[in-house]
Amino acid sequence: MSSIKQIPVITERKGNPLARVFDEFVRFCRSRSLFILHYCTGCGAIELPPAMTSRFDMERLGIQPMVSPRQADILLITGYVSIKTLKRVILTYEQMGSPKYVIGICSCTVNGGMYWQSYATAKKLDEYMPVDLYIAGCMPRPEAVLAGLQKLMDRIHSGEANSWEDYFRNYDYYLGNQQKLFGENWQTPTDIITEAKHYDLIDEGTFGKHTQLLEQHQKPLEALDMRLGHDLKEPTE
Amino acid sequence: MRPENYEAQRHPPSNEFELNFGPNHPGIEGNYALKVKLHGDVVVEAKADGGYLHRGFEKLMEQRLWIQNIALVPRICVPDPSPMEVCYAMAVEELCGLDVPQRAQWLRVMQLELSRIAAHLFTFGGHAATTGMYSTMYWGVADRDLILDLFEEFTGGRVYSIYNIPGGVRRELPDGFLRRISETLDYIESRLPDYDNLFFKNQVFVKRAKGTGVMSQEQALAWGVTGPNLRATGLAFDVRRDDPYLVYDQLDFEIPTEAHGDAWSRTLVRRLELVESIRILRQVVAALPDIRGPIRAPIPNPLAWNVPVGEVYTRVESSKGELCYFVVSDGGPKPYRVHVRGPSSMHAVQVLEKMSVGSRIEDIAQTMFSLDACPPEVDR
Ligand code: SF4
Repeated sequence: MSSIKQIPVITERKGNPLARVFDEFVRFCRSRSLFILHYCTGCGAIELPPAMTSRFDMERLGIQPMVSPRQADILLITGYVSIKTLKRVILTYEQMGSPKYVIGICSCTVNGGMYWQSYATAKKLDEYMPVDLYIAGCMPRPEAVLAGLQKLMDRIHSGEANSWEDYFRNYDYYLGNQQKLFGENWQTPTDIITEAKHYDLIDEGTFGKHTQLLEQHQKPLEALDMRLGHDLKEPTE
Repeated sequence: MRPENYEAQRHPPSNEFELNFGPNHPGIEGNYALKVKLHGDVVVEAKADGGYLHRGFEKLMEQRLWIQNIALVPRICVPDPSPMEVCYAMAVEELCGLDVPQRAQWLRVMQLELSRIAAHLFTFGGHAATTGMYSTMYWGVADRDLILDLFEEFTGGRVYSIYNIPGGVRRELPDGFLRRISETLDYIESRLPDYDNLFFKNQVFVKRAKGTGVMSQEQALAWGVTGPNLRATGLAFDVRRDDPYLVYDQLDFEIPTEAHGDAWSRTLVRRLELVESIRILRQVVAALPDIRGPIRAPIPNPLAWNVPVGEVYTRVESSKGELCYFVVSDGGPKPYRVHVRGPSSMHAVQVLEKMSVGSRIEDIAQTMFSLDACPPEVDR
């Protein structure tokens, strides 16, 4: 314990050359070891097995699939998101640890694509969560997927890929769109505002009338409800 | 997150617990979920929860022109898209009384059988991965890519080919394509013994798959099971032979069957069908140079095409089972009603629910892959 305390805590990041080198190193490492959580929301998922396995081999870029959201860095949305899926996508996104990156594969995530007039799909993904990169195409080839991932690696390395901060800074906007789609009672088990305070990412857009609405509707979660994310009914005899 | 229609209740203390399996789970095929009730490791009850991929296809098709729907229908079933467009094109042709030229029919057979090989290779791969044998998955995906390269060459698209239009097919074969397809078929055939040694004779697979997810022939017929899953219960029914479409009646092939109706039989039937598909493709490759003529019948201006009033029902054998279209036209430029009868909606909902009961939790994924259910087609 004592040895840990002796490590100097770097608070003045901007002026400190050591901190800059350290940050650069961290970003380099981060961009070279990415775990993707692919939520197979649509047809684009079919091009991921070729991209992951021997022929195109994503692993040589240091990218591997990961099964649990808590350990994943990239959320890959592979195609159209129906409204039922979108709820799960948002929940998954909020569970992921920061820094996190979102890639929208397929035209359907950009503007609705083929299903522009469908009653069941959400048309623009970036109304509901910040997206770092889109890979357009119906469906994009594995080469395009790899090129997109390389682009993301570059952006992480240069420090531009920080859309996850946007979710905290503009939470009110995203929550508003979610409430418009799912109803006013929409509530996820993750407390974004507390998290924003934790990361020190409170901005003007964090609060607004939508977060007020959330506070009104928000029910305090008991231990058991927290696990289920819902209030329970009493047993009916 | 829990299913939409789910009502949580406090239960008296018991040894059973509930588990949401999917939609984002590596053991489940695509975006699909099951709500299972477990006692220890054994499944007591399973409830399918679909709708994650619902796009409202049948409604969308009513709002688009007859010809535009060709681009839409392959998206119904992603791993095996070709039968979708062929079946829809056949329905429109029947409504209009169009005669499809011979050459186009042979080209369609080629497309369908290539698609069947690709889909079966992909399914084994997934099935092998659920039993922990990832090398078979790597091989399956890599060999499927060879077929996708062929698709890219002669249709222009890797996965969604959009090669058919009502009345025929879109383009001629590229030069030297028949030689390249023969080479690929030879290669895939030479790989089959390797697959046998790696996967089909592997004790890990045999022991886990035998006796898992069993259904009898009566049950299969009562539940509406079709395709390889039905043939694995011993009934040799195949639309290609029993209600021939295109030129399947001029081709020589067998209908492989197995007797046990379990996951092992179902996968074995697919393995045997690969050989038959290769055999069909060889016959097509031999016959194509002698069949000359146009590749599509003339159709009226597709943007102002009023298809005559009528109702048709067409069916083809896709790699998952029997695929049918019921199309109604009211004489307008757009379909009045289209109904898709996909095989997976039976397999992934009622059959999977019943088969999972009594099996262990780790076998659910295997059962689902052995049924070859295709979630996008369940939800449509
Ligand atoms: S862009 Fe095309 S391939 Fe991608 S999800 Fe949409 S329809 Fe499917």
